[in-house]
Amino acid sequence: MESTPLDTQTTVESDVATRPEEASLPPLEWMQRNLFGGGQGSVGAVARSTSLTVVFTLLGLFAYQQLLNFIFSEETNWNSVRVNLRLLFTQAYPESDYHRIWVSLGLVLVLSGVGLGLMKVGRGISMKKIATWCVGWGVLVVLGVFLRQPSVLVGDDGTPLLADADGVALARDGLGALVYLDGSPAPSQGLSVVRESYGDAISSRSGWLLIGLVLIGIAAAIWFGFGDKRRRSTFLPAIPLSIAGIGALISTTWWYNWGNYTFSTDEETGVSGFNFEPSVKVAETTRNPWTIMFVVLVVAYVLGRRLRGRAFEQHFRGLLILGWFLAPFVTFFAILRGPEFDWAYVAAVDLPLWLAFGIGGAALMWALTKPGIGEVGRVLAVLVLAIAAFTWIAAFFGWFGMLQKVRLSFLLLGLTALLAPNFIGEARQRLTLVYVWTGTITIFHVMATIINTPSSIEVPTEDFAGGFMVSIYVTVFTLLFSFPLGVLLALARTSRLPIFRLLATVYIEAFRGVPLITMLFFFTVFVNLFLPEGMELALLAAVTIAFVLFSAAYLAENVRGGLQAVRRGQYEASDALGLTTVQRTGFIVLPQGLRVSIPPLVGQAIATYKETSLLAIVGVFDFLRMARDIIPNQPEFLGERKPALLFICVIYFVGAYAMSKYSQRLEKNLGVGER
Amino acid sequence: MQKHLLLRLLAVLLGFTLVASACGDDDSDSGEAADSEDVVETTQDGSVLAAVVARGELNCGVSGAGVGFSVTQPDGSQVGFDADYCRATAAAILGDADAVNFVPLTAAERFTAVQTGQVDVLFRNTTWTQSRDTDVGMDFGPTTYFDGQQLMGRASDGFSGASGVANIDGAVVCTNAGTTTEKNIADAADAEGISIDLQTFEDFNQVTDAFINGACDIITTDGSALVGRKAEQQPADQEWAIFPATPISKEPLGPTYGQNDSAFADAVNWTVYATMIADENGINEGNVDDAAANPPTAEIGRLLGGEGELQSAMGLSADAFYQVISQVGNYSDIFDRHLTPLGITREGSANAQWTDGGLIYAPPAR
Repeated sequence: MESTPLDTQTTVESDVATRPEEASLPPLEWMQRNLFGGGQGSVGAVARSTSLTVVFTLLGLFAYQQLLNFIFSEETNWNSVRVNLRLLFTQAYPESDYHRIWVSLGLVLVLSGVGLGLMKVGRGISMKKIATWCVGWGVLVVLGVFLRQPSVLVGDDGTPLLADADGVALARDGLGALVYLDGSPAPSQGLSVVRESYGDAISSRSGWLLIGLVLIGIAAAIWFGFGDKRRRSTFLPAIPLSIAGIGALISTTWWYNWGNYTFSTDEETGVSGFNFEPSVKVAETTRNPWTIMFVVLVVAYVLGRRLRGRAFEQHFRGLLILGWFLAPFVTFFAILRGPEFDWAYVAAVDLPLWLAFGIGGAALMWALTKPGIGEVGRVLAVLVLAIAAFTWIAAFFGWFGMLQKVRLSFLLLGLTALLAPNFIGEARQRLTLVYVWTGTITIFHVMATIINTPSSIEVPTEDFAGGFMVSIYVTVFTLLFSFPLGVLLALARTSRLPIFRLLATVYIEAFRGVPLITMLFFFTVFVNLFLPEGMELALLAAVTIAFVLFSAAYLAENVRGGLQAVRRGQYEASDALGLTTVQRTGFIVLPQGLRVSIPPLVGQAIATYKETSLLAIVGVFDFLRMARDIIPNQPEFLGERKPALLFICVIYFVGAYAMSKYSQRLEKNLGVGER
Repeated sequence: MQKHLLLRLLAVLLGFTLVASACGDDDSDSGEAADSEDVVETTQDGSVLAAVVARGELNCGVSGAGVGFSVTQPDGSQVGFDADYCRATAAAILGDADAVNFVPLTAAERFTAVQTGQVDVLFRNTTWTQSRDTDVGMDFGPTTYFDGQQLMGRASDGFSGASGVANIDGAVVCTNAGTTTEKNIADAADAEGISIDLQTFEDFNQVTDAFINGACDIITTDGSALVGRKAEQQPADQEWAIFPATPISKEPLGPTYGQNDSAFADAVNWTVYATMIADENGINEGNVDDAAANPPTAEIGRLLGGEGELQSAMGLSADAFYQVISQVGNYSDIFDRHLTPLGITREGSANAQWTDGGLIYAPPAR
């Protein structure tokens, strides 16, 4: 059959849409039917539906009006957010090292861009959706223009004009005291601010009005210019559209004057001060990096698109996943932390150790996978594990000094050696294990060396990271460690071995029974008191561990739910095929179970992201603490809490919404709820 | 065949162990158990002073959110009266006022931070009390700022600087929870035999908001904080009054450190005293170089390091206090830089020099 564009459309639709799609109604008819109880016949139904619609619309409009009044009020000092953006996002991270942040962001954007390019493309956004979106925002903007109260009139000195209880205007005399215009003293009570007239207010907002009307106009053009069929079946690609949107936003730094709100300290005089210069484009300092970031994103996306469908796509996807796994470690410890290497020590100790374990371990793996090695292999693997265990015991009793890294390397070696029997066979199979070992030990040694090296970032505070940076990294590391732990716990809880079942159940119930904030206090306050004298758990490490343990318990239950959705027949079938327990779990049970648990897993990820705001209570200088405690106690912004709190709400929302959208896409791609 | 293989592999393993122990001797990385023993030694056997010198940096606990005392600037740096005393201490011990690692702490965390060694000293508007000095295991240095709890009311409600606790009968009094202010005002009201409606909020920003919008008639906390609030937040159509002139509680604020560490305590205390002695003798940031070259009095000569014996005996460099005055300033310099702009004055208060009838008094440097 020849495939015409129309044919592909219909096949795609019948493929995806399982429930019949209603033909869209004209807007008026839709409103009558859905908002005002039309089409139901009885008068009572119409009255009920109409009154509900009216009451809740009014409530919504009232909330919207209050929000607008606050955001655009002349009395709301947004400067407290503007000059503190650096503090909010990075705390005291030195400006001279900001290129490290850009490099980290660039790395993440490369991974995201390539990932987006490789992503399975859905249908895109229908014209109907775009029209709805335009009309929604258009109406919001137009309503906002009319709903917001008129602005306060501000005098030449920047303070609002005041009037007495009868509305007679007041002024300030030379000493700053309030007087009537004729110079007589003003009363101290019943004063109110002077607002412009409603007509002036509307005309001064004509720009916004125009934007709103243009959006509604676009919607109308799409609605009336397209037939019903074409509205539903003409699609714009979602990802390029989003990238174009980001590009448009970044392009504003080149032509729109965002103003310059900075805080700086004069190197010579040591005098520091705020700088509010609406005439200078703040963009001048950030537009080059942002533009570079955008180019990086676009190039990565195009690269991803090019790679899609190539023969080596699968390998490339594997690399990408490894990249995502390593990115938090690399950006945090190697880039942002700026390790200051003692190269002599690296050459004398770190390098030889790595070579010894790399080459020696590779040789061991090669030998252990020799066909016909038999029980000797197992004995040796257990021996290595015994050595690893011995090094820990020695450390406990303080018998002889040894680098922590060496102990961990022995442990890794022992664990990898245990895997060896699975790789016995031809050279190719044996080499796989050798590669796995070399890769693991290289990553481990490089990271251990970097983490042990002192930071070169000069900050006036304890930790180099703070603000939103800390919230993000605690979230990412928590997800990275708690996911595997959670899956293991879920498997243990459904295991046939009673001891695993018992331990997992006790763990999960214990950690789900304790509030997160209690765990955080426990780990930040008590653990340090229990540790041996002189040994200390850094605050950020302590809270991350608390988060990981807590989150893993919840993830485990989510995953267990998914595992239970895997049908009995799947287990029986894999048994019939002669798969081992490991193979059955890895290839049959987990892939199906995890797919089902995507929605709760993402829910847990979003919850973790939002719960990082609890860090403010245990003394971490995170996003919330900056907005709640630090900014309102700067003398210039004393008591100014609301703007910063609203701002961090918006940032938290953007992050959580992006995660939720991504999970919806993932569900669609994996066909959750359809198969 | 298999036996040979086993032997060979055992040899490889033995090689590993040898390399590992060879490298293990200089145990310098991995911030965990292994290298912790060094840290223990310095904190147990030596003074914190030695640890600070070895580290090359002073870990100083501050509030980070105390107007006038330690404010976190938009670039993350700390500025204020307490922050300057951290810098002064660093200048005395290390010769560099910038060698400070500021650790912002909440009121709840501060003593644990000293006990676990997270910070060397607290300059975190901490009131010197008997229980903290004894039971909590802290030691306190000379008071740098004599604060006291006061009340603030609206002039339109008839309050003025001359009002007293007796005038607030029946008023809604607001303060922040978890501090002694709550108990102090309740005690003061009981003593006067009046009844008040006491309401507590989580932090003082909420208290001030409630005061501005009329939910509270009176708010109460340390006088220094009230002065700052009045200066920054008093609306154009309100007139606020702070009273009574003599505070209802004593809040002596000063340096706090772990107990029984005389060497470190001396270094911190004499840093504070040095700023006071310099103030008393009119030696400030501007003229300290001249004074060091031609000491006006023998005491100033000794203080700024002429002979240097006094400082050396303490384990500091001879010019330690010269560095303090030249890099940070004397008591007045510090006070004027951070507290005067808020409207807090020294004249007539407990924070005036003892020669002016105040309580700022340092033992002689000899």
